[in-house]
Amino acid sequence: MFDLLGTALANVSQWKYLLPLILGTAVGAVGGALPGVTITMTVIVALPFTFGLDPLQGLVAMVGIYVGGSAGGLVTATLLGIPGTPSSIATMFDGFPMAKKGEPGRAIWLGIWASCFGGLLGGVFLIAATGPLAAFALRFGPWEYFSLFVLALSMVAGLVESSLLKGLIAGMLGLVVTVLGNDPMMGAPRLTLGVGFIEGGIAFLPVLIGVFAFGQVMGDVEKMRALKKASEALAVKMSLAASQLAVLREILTRPFLLLWSSAIGVWIGVLPAIGGSAANIMAYDQAKKFSKRPEEFGTGVPEGIIASEASNNANVGGSLVTIMAFGIPGDAVTAVMLGALTIHGIQSGPLFISQQPVLAYGIFAAYLLAHPIMVLAMAVFARFALHVVTVPKSLLYPVVLVLCVVGAYALNNTMSNVYVLLVFGVLGYLMVKTGLPLAPFILGVILGDQIEINLIRAIMSDANPMLFFTRPISAALLFASVASVALALWQHRRARLKERAADTADAADF
Amino acid sequence: MGRDGYAGLAILVASLALFWATLGLERHPMVPIGPGFYPRVILGITAAMALGLLVSDVLARRRRVVGAQAAPAGQRPNYGLVVAAFAVFTVYVLALPWLGFRLATLLFLLAMPVLLERPAGVRGWVIVALVAVVATLASHYAFESYLHVLLPRGRWTGF
Repeated sequence: MFDLLGTALANVSQWKYLLPLILGTAVGAVGGALPGVTITMTVIVALPFTFGLDPLQGLVAMVGIYVGGSAGGLVTATLLGIPGTPSSIATMFDGFPMAKKGEPGRAIWLGIWASCFGGLLGGVFLIAATGPLAAFALRFGPWEYFSLFVLALSMVAGLVESSLLKGLIAGMLGLVVTVLGNDPMMGAPRLTLGVGFIEGGIAFLPVLIGVFAFGQVMGDVEKMRALKKASEALAVKMSLAASQLAVLREILTRPFLLLWSSAIGVWIGVLPAIGGSAANIMAYDQAKKFSKRPEEFGTGVPEGIIASEASNNANVGGSLVTIMAFGIPGDAVTAVMLGALTIHGIQSGPLFISQQPVLAYGIFAAYLLAHPIMVLAMAVFARFALHVVTVPKSLLYPVVLVLCVVGAYALNNTMSNVYVLLVFGVLGYLMVKTGLPLAPFILGVILGDQIEINLIRAIMSDANPMLFFTRPISAALLFASVASVALALWQHRRARLKERAADTADAADF
Repeated sequence: MGRDGYAGLAILVASLALFWATLGLERHPMVPIGPGFYPRVILGITAAMALGLLVSDVLARRRRVVGAQAAPAGQRPNYGLVVAAFAVFTVYVLALPWLGFRLATLLFLLAMPVLLERPAGVRGWVIVALVAVVATLASHYAFESYLHVLLPRGRWTGF
């Protein structure tokens, strides 16, 4: 393993790969810092630029964007009180007060270094866990794969913040998309709706680009005025100088906080389709619970920044584990990476690390190298961040949409995917407006074919449906699936009861 | 009925229509379950859940105490702008095969920013025009010449 990693580090250190990694990290940092532009959107915009590159070049660029974007959000969260990405919301809770107290440099550098350490700890997990997990997954037959994918979908549906029913419906809608077009086993025509290009099925990348890009862009278009006011309020100048040694000491003298926050980030990353947005809030909450001075959280304490930033970068490592070991995207960004692999004809999953060691270890190496590059990129970029974020959305979003069109078109050089993009753009926006979460939907679109294929393979191997419940791993996965839905039901119910109790108390006070 | 109800109703109708369409699918002798089996399971579950969403919305509305306040006018989403933005994007997508990438993109990048936020003064218009021209040419050059992505040619324009 270490030989392969050493070779991969030497390989990725060549300019051929280092340049896309540096550019990706820098672009990710800028994208992450722009309020209203998420890491997912940044990686979607960058996707068409990777089509002409070799697979490893494209993947290292995406890893760079992921790492840079996860850290980039902290700049605006800290300096402006506007999180650049959802994964930096908790950074704002203490970063912004610290900056307001006259220590913006300390706040920024605490975030940058915590991101670096958290990310590298996530990297240790990524490198150590991917191989054994992939080896374990090789024992899976179609029953286990079917059950694993069902577990992934039910977990995502249960973990979304809105109602469980909406999460489940969104996941089912994703599966419905995959039943349109010829059936994946025998190619029999099925539910083509009279549209010729649906016969081959609907490619998931235009669907993903459409729902995420339009869901976000049109959501911002709705409130253009509010965004304009925010960008007008950015004309602030401040010094970002800070003693690096003092900042490093502040972080490293809190090893438990750093490790625990990183562990939370990794764990959230491993769970399918939820990402840094949940990790940073959960790590912040845990840091507050473990703190001897929880009442000081929110006033500019370093623990809040360290917990949030360490977790959201460690989350990247966890997300990469899931996609590399099981072929299940850990979040939307890894879903795009999965698409990039598919474009190059590479199958992600348990065999990926053994069949594509150069790519797999190249990703590990890129992930490790991306962190010091991110520190350097942020050192340069943080000075200009306040100018970059003033770019009007009215100019930025049309360019983003053009790049989405190019990304969809370039998949097979036909307009059909652009039409799919348009249709699912409208659907994505409607889903956002009706509170149907996008993450389970996308996971459903990605896993739908595999669920069907494995179900039919299992039935073709042995028609006894009880095997899904009697094979130990399959049974355990299905049990976990039911348990996750039950847990989500209980959590939603408890939250509702709390809300009702609070409402009753308010009414009594009144 | 609220948004949840309408969403549930739309999903219910769509899934039932698709379910009905699967009834005519023929089984393949090589596969023990036909191509319609899995879609029927998926669409059946989806329809049941959509019905659940519809019913829960209707029941919740009955229980709800009247008196929910509407958002102040300034905070209301500008749906007109969203519809217009979708319309402009749709025209762009439909125009691509006829006008080609360069012309259609240039026009789109001129129209959309103006729609989203009317440029202030001559400087604003110059910036919009500049961004449109530079973004169109840069993306065309980058994809066609460097990344080997062949962008759409226009049937009317020939380029």
